[in-house]
Amino acid sequence: MTAALVTTGPRRRTRFWASFAVPGVGWLIAFFVVSVYAVMAVAFGTVDPVLRTAVPAWNPLQWDFAAMSDVLDRVFGGDLGTVFVRTFRFVALSLAGCILVGYPVAYYVARKAGPRRGLLLVLLVLPFWISYLMRMLAWTNLLQLDGIVNDVLQFLHLQDEPHNWLDGNWYTVVFGLTYGYLPFFILPLYSTLERIDGRLIEAGRDLGASSMQTFFRITLPLSVPGLMAASVITILPMFGDYYTNTYLTSGSPKTEMVGNQIENYLLGTSQPQTGASLVLVLMAFLFVLMAYYLYTTLRQQRMAER
Amino acid sequence: MTSSRRDFLARSAQLGVLLGAGIPILQACGSDSGSSGPVADPIADGLEPEKGPLRVFNYDSYVNPDVVAAFEAQYGVKVEITTFTTDTEAVTKLASKAIEVDVHHSMAATSIDRLIAGGIVQPLNKSYIPNFENAFDALKDPWYDKGSAHSVPYNFFGTGIGYRADRIDPAQVEEQGWDTLWNATDFKGQVSVLDDEREALVMAMMRKGIFDVNTTDQAIIDQALADLSELIDRVSVKVNIEAYKNIPEGATTVAHTWSPDLINAYAAYLPEGTDPAVLGFWHPPAGEYLVTNDSMGVVAGCKNPVLAHLYINFLLDNEIAEQNFSWVGYLPALSKFDADYVIGAGYVPENLRACVPTTEEIEKGLYLKPIGADGDAKYTAAWSTFTSGA
Repeated sequence: MTAALVTTGPRRRTRFWASFAVPGVGWLIAFFVVSVYAVMAVAFGTVDPVLRTAVPAWNPLQWDFAAMSDVLDRVFGGDLGTVFVRTFRFVALSLAGCILVGYPVAYYVARKAGPRRGLLLVLLVLPFWISYLMRMLAWTNLLQLDGIVNDVLQFLHLQDEPHNWLDGNWYTVVFGLTYGYLPFFILPLYSTLERIDGRLIEAGRDLGASSMQTFFRITLPLSVPGLMAASVITILPMFGDYYTNTYLTSGSPKTEMVGNQIENYLLGTSQPQTGASLVLVLMAFLFVLMAYYLYTTLRQQRMAER
Repeated sequence: MTSSRRDFLARSAQLGVLLGAGIPILQACGSDSGSSGPVADPIADGLEPEKGPLRVFNYDSYVNPDVVAAFEAQYGVKVEITTFTTDTEAVTKLASKAIEVDVHHSMAATSIDRLIAGGIVQPLNKSYIPNFENAFDALKDPWYDKGSAHSVPYNFFGTGIGYRADRIDPAQVEEQGWDTLWNATDFKGQVSVLDDEREALVMAMMRKGIFDVNTTDQAIIDQALADLSELIDRVSVKVNIEAYKNIPEGATTVAHTWSPDLINAYAAYLPEGTDPAVLGFWHPPAGEYLVTNDSMGVVAGCKNPVLAHLYINFLLDNEIAEQNFSWVGYLPALSKFDADYVIGAGYVPENLRACVPTTEEIEKGLYLKPIGADGDAKYTAAWSTFTSGA
């Protein structure tokens, strides 16, 4: 009797805590697994001959891979390849921008801000109070030919003529993505930097390392997990973004991203299978990035445990 | 597949559709068996209107709320408006039975044949729609719906060039026509074409003198793509449907756009104190002028078919249509609204007279018509290549 109590007690407790995962698992099944399967059913389905709407193929035995095959051909060597490469370039540059701007900010707030930390955190979150679209619309006004940005640059004699920032320039899109997603980058990085044990940094200094050496040999390596997490959180939505470039370049073909092609195929044409196939290709690409992130994180965890 | 100026904001608002997963899921909903056949019979004569609420399916901001309120007051019912963002989305939602509505307020001419054949809209009983008499004569028996059996016209418009007359000489636009877009090298980044695959590609064809606007000839489409792609480097062309605000605000100098966009520009977006003479609109002569119209219909199997007929009749009333036009900016497809009337009433300035189609332009108008799945696929592929900037 006593032995039975000893064994069932922990088991019951384990089941109790495990039950906490039920809502999360249910959520994932309902809004990820089922959703992705629905996308697959459309991508590998057919189109109603009269209405041209999607006829999803729920049975995998009936899947038709023609649309996916066409999309893959176009991604690897066709016009969609150009769009994928451009999207990758925009995201990479925007991520670099986030790191250059975001890391010092996160570092300062986490390690150096002292009593002002709370206020600075509020200021960092402040952009979230305004809709992303509204912020992008505001930038289109600021960046237009007679906008404030050109006025200021001319006032400072940094340019003689107003520059057309909205002229389908890649750097305007990169700026918009960097600006828009910067708070998403800073906050997770901040939480990692803030948790670094100060005694490790002090030990480095005590052993004769300069400030820079301490940063590069202690702070930076310890912040890599936060850097990775912040990068993943930032680039995943960036890859699917289609409104930043739409707003900032008014639909210039020079700045078309994958998200724009998906939007066009799903909302503007009679080829939903192509749009859904593009969604799957992009998901597969993002899955590779995510898998690399998970692999790196796990490896770091194991190294830390040794 | 025709989009509209209203599409843009609504599309952009779909932030929750990251990676576009939302729409395929919507498209996966509903019947797997595809479309049913056309509905055979209209409702009977003399039926009493239902108690509502009347559910209307429309683009956002494409009917005057005061007009809707007036209908509610007159018939003692509530009207609920459900919006869609593109014609493709509207067809998808109706076909998948994702929504239940009574009136399809804005059917694109290129979709009506499919909506009829797929049993999405039902035949109309004209005894409930006496105001149909007010419609343009040319649209009482339209090509897309013989005898207007399933639809009545709502708004009418054409495609041309909207421009800033204070930057480009109107005489130059008249002389150069569509070439104006290619020649606007002094206005790089201030030139746009419509974000609509057939409109844009067909415009490039008409520039080269090809007026078979429903061609599916691959060589012609390829040439149109090559010509359109030339605009990318030549004038840093933009692809959007925002000329209605970009021209009056000065961000765009020359735009391939719809005629009502200039009326909207004048009525709602021209900065205070700006002379309306800065706005200009050009379109090709009758017989080469691409025109179209949105139409209203009653959804098959709806709960309030009588009320739906009365609503459509209400919108075709001349006074109500004028009230609607004053807010929407798109010209009602009713005979009353000729150029002299809308200019005299102050809705349109004299310099934008070309925005109001003449009877001859309507009768001789070129229409984009259904070209089948294979034809659409050719245009979609060309459009995708153009917008990709490849």
